[in-house]
Amino acid sequence: MKTFEEKWTAWLDGELSGSELAAFEASLPDRVAAEAEKQAAQKLRLLLKRELSISKLANEEFFSHQLRERIGHEGNSNTGRESRSSGWWTVPRLLWSGAFAMAVFLVCTVWVMQDNDFADQSPLTTKVLNAKLDPTAGTDATVTVFEDTEDNVTVLWTEGLKSLPSEYAAK
Amino acid sequence: MNTEATAAQPDVPELDLVKRCQKGDSEAFDELVTRYRTRVFGMIYNMVHNEQDAWDLAQDSFLKAWKSIGRFRGQSSFYTWMYRIVMNVTIDWVRKKQIKGSGAEFDDTIQLREIDPASKTVPKPDFAPSEKMEHQEVRAQIDKAISQLSPEHRAVILMKEIEDMQYNEIAEALGCSIGTVMSRLFYARKKLQNLLKDVYENI
Repeated sequence: MKTFEEKWTAWLDGELSGSELAAFEASLPDRVAAEAEKQAAQKLRLLLKRELSISKLANEEFFSHQLRERIGHEGNSNTGRESRSSGWWTVPRLLWSGAFAMAVFLVCTVWVMQDNDFADQSPLTTKVLNAKLDPTAGTDATVTVFEDTEDNVTVLWTEGLKSLPSEYAAK
Repeated sequence: MNTEATAAQPDVPELDLVKRCQKGDSEAFDELVTRYRTRVFGMIYNMVHNEQDAWDLAQDSFLKAWKSIGRFRGQSSFYTWMYRIVMNVTIDWVRKKQIKGSGAEFDDTIQLREIDPASKTVPKPDFAPSEKMEHQEVRAQIDKAISQLSPEHRAVILMKEIEDMQYNEIAEALGCSIGTVMSRLFYARKKLQNLLKDVYENI
């Protein structure tokens, strides 16, 4: 459904025909005034066409030359951008480098973790069973009992004793 | 629509030139520029009423067209597609200028200087010396009236009355509906008729 403005414009431009034209012209309240306005629109069109129409751009070759220069400059800039983007650090190369770095990291991590497992299995299998001060044997006397589970040996380590008490004697 | 008299290779179909441009052939684009530069410049000049600005905007429009010609699918004529770029660039520029300034684009003193008959750039018909003064005054009145229209209304009136473009071509160039084009034409004509009545009644 066309608005009045659309129908009026189409009527001025001679774009209405048939029943649409007849219906629109019948709907005009003042046909004489409408025709006068149509004449005015025609005059306005003639005026604009006469005054604003163009014949030739005076410096047209310079216009084209300047544009060619700008296009060439843009092309060089793009080429520069392309050459920069086609350098070593392209996106695929960055991805490959990242993947390689990740792989190296994983290998190192696994190796270090395995190394830690060995550390857990320390060769020093000796453990302290008992350590105490013994004031009865001496004021600075310490008595420590070690057990070497690998060799199945128990060691009694004493310090600060002038003599070995009889109860520490090997049984 | 009229075609420019300065076409260097009028026998080469436009679509062939466009296809060559899309393959990076700048000479083909140069040919398209030769065909349309005057009309593009004239259209922009009638929108902005300033020779240097029109020149720069026309250059920017063609440069933008060159950069985006790969996206031209041939669903419309090259000229309609080109006009869409021209209108985007120009309307955007006019809006920015209106926001930046006080809104009044037209300055009589500048205008008289800008339409100096000795100007080397502005495309214009040749007038006899005795007519030049009158032409200057009429032209100044028209430019002043057009500058009172919104950029969109300027665009439709110039494309319709000067370029003889069809409603659908104008709609495509402006990215709006045909109904909007007709509505804008209605109001633009009404306003210009009021502003220029004394001028066109004396033709």
